[in-house]
Amino acid sequence: MTSRFLQSGRWLIRDTFRQARASGLLWVMLSVSAVCILVCLSVGVSGPLSLKQDGEVVEFLPSGDPEAEKAKRSGVEIIRGELTLGFGAFHVPLGRDAGEAVRYIQMLLAGFIADTAGILLALVWSAGFLPSFLDPASSAVLFAKPVPRWWLLLGKYLGVLGFLLVQAVVFVLGTWLALAIRTGIWDPVYLLCLPLLLLHFAVFFSFSTFVAVCTRSTVASVIGSILFWLLCWGMNFGRHTMVVLESSNISPLLMSMVEVGYWILPKPADFGMILFDVLEAKKFFVQADAFRLVQNEGAFYPAWSLFSSALFACVLVGLAQWQLRETDF
Amino acid sequence: MTIAAEFDNVVKDYPCGWLGRQKLRALDGVSFQVETGQVLGLIGPNRAGKTTLAKILLSLCRLTAGKAFRFGEPVDRQKTLCRVGYMHENQAFPRYWNARGILEFYGALSLVNADVICRRIPILLEKVGLADRSDEPISQFSKGMVQRLALAQSIINDPDLLVLDEPTAGLDAEGRRLVHEIVRERRQRGGAVILITHLMSDIEALCDRVVAIRAGKLVREGPIDSFRKESESFEQSIEPLLEAQPT
Repeated sequence: MTSRFLQSGRWLIRDTFRQARASGLLWVMLSVSAVCILVCLSVGVSGPLSLKQDGEVVEFLPSGDPEAEKAKRSGVEIIRGELTLGFGAFHVPLGRDAGEAVRYIQMLLAGFIADTAGILLALVWSAGFLPSFLDPASSAVLFAKPVPRWWLLLGKYLGVLGFLLVQAVVFVLGTWLALAIRTGIWDPVYLLCLPLLLLHFAVFFSFSTFVAVCTRSTVASVIGSILFWLLCWGMNFGRHTMVVLESSNISPLLMSMVEVGYWILPKPADFGMILFDVLEAKKFFVQADAFRLVQNEGAFYPAWSLFSSALFACVLVGLAQWQLRETDF
Repeated sequence: MTIAAEFDNVVKDYPCGWLGRQKLRALDGVSFQVETGQVLGLIGPNRAGKTTLAKILLSLCRLTAGKAFRFGEPVDRQKTLCRVGYMHENQAFPRYWNARGILEFYGALSLVNADVICRRIPILLEKVGLADRSDEPISQFSKGMVQRLALAQSIINDPDLLVLDEPTAGLDAEGRRLVHEIVRERRQRGGAVILITHLMSDIEALCDRVVAIRAGKLVREGPIDSFRKESESFEQSIEPLLEAQPT
């Protein structure tokens, strides 16, 4: 019986992949990944010198800087390479070594394209999966099967996550391989953004699932998940800002309420901060003051932040399962 | 003979009005049984509560009061659903599947062994006349073809209890003959069938017993012959029971 139960779960996941293919989502997301991979394949880096020297703080000077010229005259080796894009169509003088230049591109891909735009678009595109699954004309027969409703919903939720995992693997692994093949830099740290991206999506898709079960409406799922993401981002940013501000200006009650809200709700900005840290993006980008200072003050707990966000997702999927069980079809 | 389905003083209220604070009574103390080897016709005007009864039996909606059983077990125990087949009145299938795929999918959700499903699918598709269209997407199917597929889906697990809600709606003469054949075959194999329909010719041709419901209440129950004896025809005897109920 257990094997038949698992077999039904496999079919639910397969159903989701078919749905994604039929809706065109599979091809849209693969196209976006393909464009990004193509851009990465067009990247070239010249300049063999590495700046990775143990214990030394790396400082950058633009190659035309008089100080750099002075240093060069006094016998210091300076970076002379360039970054090319579009198969050599665009040339960018290199201010860093090749490894750092590749990491910079990886940060743009993971932090901006995948973690923010990608997650929000994935939420919008996948928001219709569950409402159409729960349409009474098709779901009545599904719910008259011996498989419990909580299992059907979980199978569908995992199906969407599985689909996103495949897309994330194609995007992250594809861009990583393309950059590595073109530049010879095989830095595996970039691959760590894969679980982070998946967890970020899973947390917010749990809210989309809950709205879908309560309303059976795609529009409500789309608008609900985007508004919820913005609310959570605001709460996340607000909490960090409060922590770094002078505490005497803010009432203790408000501080406590924001702190409670921060720990209960998912934390999209924290996902970005963790990604920022993992990819050592501080070398290239200036972080918002609230994010930088909250880390300096030791008031940012990455592990607890991820754990509480994941816990929120589990609770919400559980609530959606309970709601589905209580619903008459 | 065993009892395949049993309703004992079943009451069902649906919430309605502002925030669901009012109640609409769909079933009001309905009691009857369906035995194996029997075809039971469930008749009544629109909004009488026929589909709600089927839904309670299939655990699609919960009871407000009373009891309902499938094969002697309360309807909230899902394992007996392995022995039940259901054809919905407005069946819609995900349009991205083909006929073979949808039967595999629904078979897996019925917890039927994968090998058994693979063996059964060609037989069922042949039976419902879709063998040559098995790999076509359902989006290209006509309403009648979807109905035939729904019929095949309802017996993918070789059920002991088959619930058919308006199975012949939208079917041509050949399709109706097919429904009749399947219902008779189920009865012959010792299964029970609950047939919900407005077509009295189907009831007369297939059913052993009839339950008539009106405004959520059971108004008449008995062997089909008992209806026939009262009037010149079955339809005449049943006509007063099917008059539209007050809204």
